[in-house]
Parts: sequence; C-alpha cells; structure tokens
Amino acid sequence: MKIYVCCKQVPDVAMTIQIKDGKFISEGMNYVLNAYDASCVEEALVLKEKYGAEVTLVLIGDEAGKEALRKGLAMGADNAFHISDPALNNLGSQAAAKVLQAFFKGRDFDFILTGKQAQDSDMGLAGGILSGLLNLPYVTNAVGLDVQDKMIVVKRQGDEGVEVLHMPMPSLITCSNDMNDPRIPSLKGIMASKKKPMEQVSLTDLGLSADEVLKESQKSSLKSFGLPPARKAGAKIEGDAQTLVATLMEKLTKEAKVL
Amino acid sequence: MNFELTEDQKMIRDMVRDFARKHVAPGVLERDQNGTFPRDLINQLGELGLMGMVYPEEYGGSAADTVSYALAIEELARYDASLAITVASHTSLGTGHLAMYGSDELKKKYLPDMVSGKRLAGWGLTETGSGSDASGMKTTAILDGDHWVINGSKIFITQGTEGEVFVILANTDKAKGAKGVSAFLLEKGMPGFSHGPKMHKLGLRSSDTAELVFENVRVPKSHLIGHKDLGFIQSMKVLEGGRIGIGALAVGIARGSLEDSVQYVQQRSQFGGPIANQQALRFMLADMWVQLEASRDLVLRAAVLKDAGKPYNKEAAMAKLYSSEAAMKICHQGIQLHGGYGYMEEYHVERYYRDVKLCEIGEGTSEIQRMVIARELLKA
Repeated sequence: MKIYVCCKQVPDVAMTIQIKDGKFISEGMNYVLNAYDASCVEEALVLKEKYGAEVTLVLIGDEAGKEALRKGLAMGADNAFHISDPALNNLGSQAAAKVLQAFFKGRDFDFILTGKQAQDSDMGLAGGILSGLLNLPYVTNAVGLDVQDKMIVVKRQGDEGVEVLHMPMPSLITCSNDMNDPRIPSLKGIMASKKKPMEQVSLTDLGLSADEVLKESQKSSLKSFGLPPARKAGAKIEGDAQTLVATLMEKLTKEAKVL
Repeated sequence: MNFELTEDQKMIRDMVRDFARKHVAPGVLERDQNGTFPRDLINQLGELGLMGMVYPEEYGGSAADTVSYALAIEELARYDASLAITVASHTSLGTGHLAMYGSDELKKKYLPDMVSGKRLAGWGLTETGSGSDASGMKTTAILDGDHWVINGSKIFITQGTEGEVFVILANTDKAKGAKGVSAFLLEKGMPGFSHGPKMHKLGLRSSDTAELVFENVRVPKSHLIGHKDLGFIQSMKVLEGGRIGIGALAVGIARGSLEDSVQYVQQRSQFGGPIANQQALRFMLADMWVQLEASRDLVLRAAVLKDAGKPYNKEAAMAKLYSSEAAMKICHQGIQLHGGYGYMEEYHVERYYRDVKLCEIGEGTSEIQRMVIARELLKA
C-alpha cells in the first residue's frame, strides 16, 4: 500500500499568539506539525504496522516546515517531500490544493490522508478542493481507518453518530484528531529521521509558475488578524436573598433584556 | 560562539517535554505522597530510548550527546524530580561506570538490558562512615581462587531495592587507602547480597534509596571493572559526568517553581488586582529567572565541553554548585510567592523545595564542589 499524508506546519498553540496592526507576529513562534495531520501520520503508521505500507509525507512550506516533516519521519514515516518556493508563502487553500494537484500528477497511491483542518487557519478547505481537482472519492472527519478487501473502511464522525463507509482506492480522506493519540517519537526514531529521504520540490519541478499560484491564491485572501475581544468583568451582586433576586431580575429584564 | 541548540537537540528536548507533560505530570503528587516507584514510566522511557541514550548503538543506545542528555533530565525534572534522579543515576552512575571501564565481555552481557531500562542500575560508593573521603571505606574485596569475596555495606544507594545490576566500590588494598579501591559488578540475587528497606527521605520520595549489604558475596573474578586499585579514580571520573546530570536536575526543578509561580501571581488577586502587579514580587521573579538561565548555561557549557572531548571537571563542578544553590533560592522564593497555598502539598512548590535540597548534597556536596573548583584555580 502507498499512503500519502499531506501535512502543514502551524504555530505551536501552547505559545501565546501575538498580533500587531492586524498582522500575525511569527517571530519567536515555534512551528509544529498540525495536530490533525499528526493523527493522520499515526493512523497511517498503524496501517503500515498491520498490513505493510509506504508512508510518504508532503508539505508546502518554508524552512520551518522541515521540522514538521522531521517529526513525522521520526514517528515512523518512510520519506517526505518538501515543496518550497518563495512564491508559496501564506498560500490560500485553493492555491495549496492546486500545488498539491500538480504534485500528485502521475503519482501512484492508494489513498491520501490529510487533517480535516489546520490548527492555525481552521479553514478545512484544502482537502476537499484537492479531492475535486484530483477527481477522487472524498470523505471528511474520519475517526477510524482500516483496510478490508482492497477497500478503505472509514469511520466518520457525523452530526448524529458514527458512519461507516467503504471507500475504493484511491480516495482522499480528511481526519479528525479524535482518531488516535499520536505516538511520541522515540530517540531512535529521531536519530533515524535524519537519514530518511526528504526531497526538495520547487514550483518549476511541478511545472507551475509563481503567477499561476498567485492567481489561485488571490481567489481568497486574508485581510487581517485580530484577537477575540477580552471578556468583560462580571458584576457581583451582594446582599440577602431577597435583594439578590430582586437585583438579578432587574438586571435581566432592564439591562440584559432577556426576560 | 553559538548558543543555538541543534535540530536534533531541539527534537529530543521537545520529545521528552511532550512525554513529561502527557505521562509524567499526571499522578506526580500521588507518587510523591505514597513514595510509589513508577516502574511503568521507566518502561515507557526505556521504549523511547531514554534509559541509556548516550551509550553506543551496539549496546542499544542512540549515542546522543551530553547536551541532549542534560536537556532530557531537565524536562523530566520539571515535572518529577524523583523520576529524573532515577534516570540520571541509572544512566550516569551504574551504567556509566560499566560503559566507561568495564571489559567488553561484561559490557556485552549487561549493558544492553541496562540501556533499554529492562534492568535498573545502582552504584555504591557511599558508606555510613565514608563518602567523599574514600580512605574511610570499610567494604572489602578479597581474592579467593576465581572469585572476589565481598563484605561490608553501602548506604543511600539510589535504585537500592529496584536495581538489578550494581557497580560497587570496595577496598582491595587497605594499606593504600583511596588508591587501594576497586570497582565490581554485582547482580541482585547473588548469595549474600541483600538490601535494606526503602529509606524515608525529605524529598525525591518516589525515587528508591536503600542500604546494600554484602555478606561473603562471591563475585566472579571477571566482574572486576577495569584495573584493580583504580576504582576510586574511576569513580571520580564517573562523578564528573554525573554532576552535569545533577545540575540539569536542579535546573528542571527550579524551572518548575518559576513557571508555577509566574502562573500563580497572574491568577491570585489581592488589593484589587493580580499580585503580579506588585513590584516586590516582580523583582523576585526577575531574580529567579536570571538565576535559572545562568544555571542552565553553566550546565550546558559543561555538557558542550564534554561532548567536544575537552576537560570539563571544573565546569561540571561549577554547574552543579551554582545551579543547585540557585535552585534552592528559586524554590524558596517559589513558596513565598504562593503564600499559604505554597505551603500546601497540592501546589507542587513545596515538593520542589523538598526535592531540590538533594542537589546540594548528592554526587559531591557543595563544599566538595568548591574544593574541586578552588583546587583548579590555585593550580600552579
């Protein structure tokens, strides 16, 4: 089996996010493997251990992206492709899918996994757009994967419960981080990850021009960042029971106007 | 000059941090209160390759550098110093002594299981009447045919009850004092080799400390480690590396106290706002941070020198001395910043304060470190 996992590097959500003048301050931020993608890597490795498979990672990004790829390789993935080009910074979902479409052109695979969304933008679009561009069967929000009789058995978390779908190969599946608890790479895995192949891919290698990517990227664009407004301090009502209830009723009816 | 960690070092640090947050932090209070030795965590650390990370691949290690080792100990100590001292003492003392001076035969037989964490290692130098001064050592080893016969006892031995392989020091030529001491490898279960109960300690309560007793223990001749009568000199070298580990342990504990304090002062409200607004407390925090960073730099500097194959004796002594004493101050202030809550068990800072005291004592007291440093300074 040949499994591809499309990954993204995202700011470490454990750190404090800083925004200045509508811009995200990336200086001093740690970039890590998107948690949803880490779940994809984990699930692919479980399938590899069960049935045998080659697990390949693909990532579009700058130098920070390499660290995310190395994390996946340290977990146990076999090889990685790092698509890197100055024109590929701050890509929109549409453009990212277009680049990945070019990457997958002519490649042989059984299925593609990717996180159902990225922790930074929370868009959740690239997977769906890519499946459309590659004309692949597509299922979202997987919480479990298995392979039976050359079909991919996908447990999918729906609104009302878990659906079980049988997907043909090849397909594209987006995964939830509820699917598993990604393994912590062992020291041996970290040491071995240095020796695993990580191939650099440029836009030219993909037969794309910077203009083409820019055009796709402009179909949607991010105007500015902002922090959610700070919560206002609550009001403390004091007094005996009678006063408490009366004041509360007054506030609910006259101030909040919810009653 | 470059203060940046390599990508490998960062990955190892992040991996241990991830493990410590997920698996070590939960349950640390219970382990401390009940003195429970976390064998399951040791097994997990073994699977991750952290029970002998610095040793060669042929013995199952990853040949990681000392900087990575120090970072790993710091990350573990941040959440559970008892676990960190277990890993540090297992790695650098018992396993370290065998790896540095043992014969190929002994290393092939014992190291793989020690490096994988399957069998825990202990190291026995200290006796009731002898610690840093080896001339008072009473344990003896006398050659009898193909065996050494060992008699005596060792005290305060980490992994005393849980350990399975021990390197112990014994007198082989009493007249020569410290120059008549040799190292031997002992296994749990050898007739006449026993241990006392787990000892109750001020801190590091879920680490395992006990007395070892040797009553006519017959040890095969081949279990002599390195040359006869050179055991004390070997021990000094073993301790040199161990000091980097204790320094890293102090840094980890102190970081715990500082991080918890930073969180607490922003949450605790008095006089109409968070107590973090009080300048007196801000100054305390600033001092704690400076001391922590200086400590870590000293520890990593000693580690960098060791990795480069350069002498690091005084640097390791400075790192251990400074970081343990700074950590004592930081942990003391950590409780102060927490006020009454800091005195209670559930706020961790009192545990850090109890745990960190060992760093000023174990593997050479602060006074011994000062002797080592002054000796270097006054060398003609």
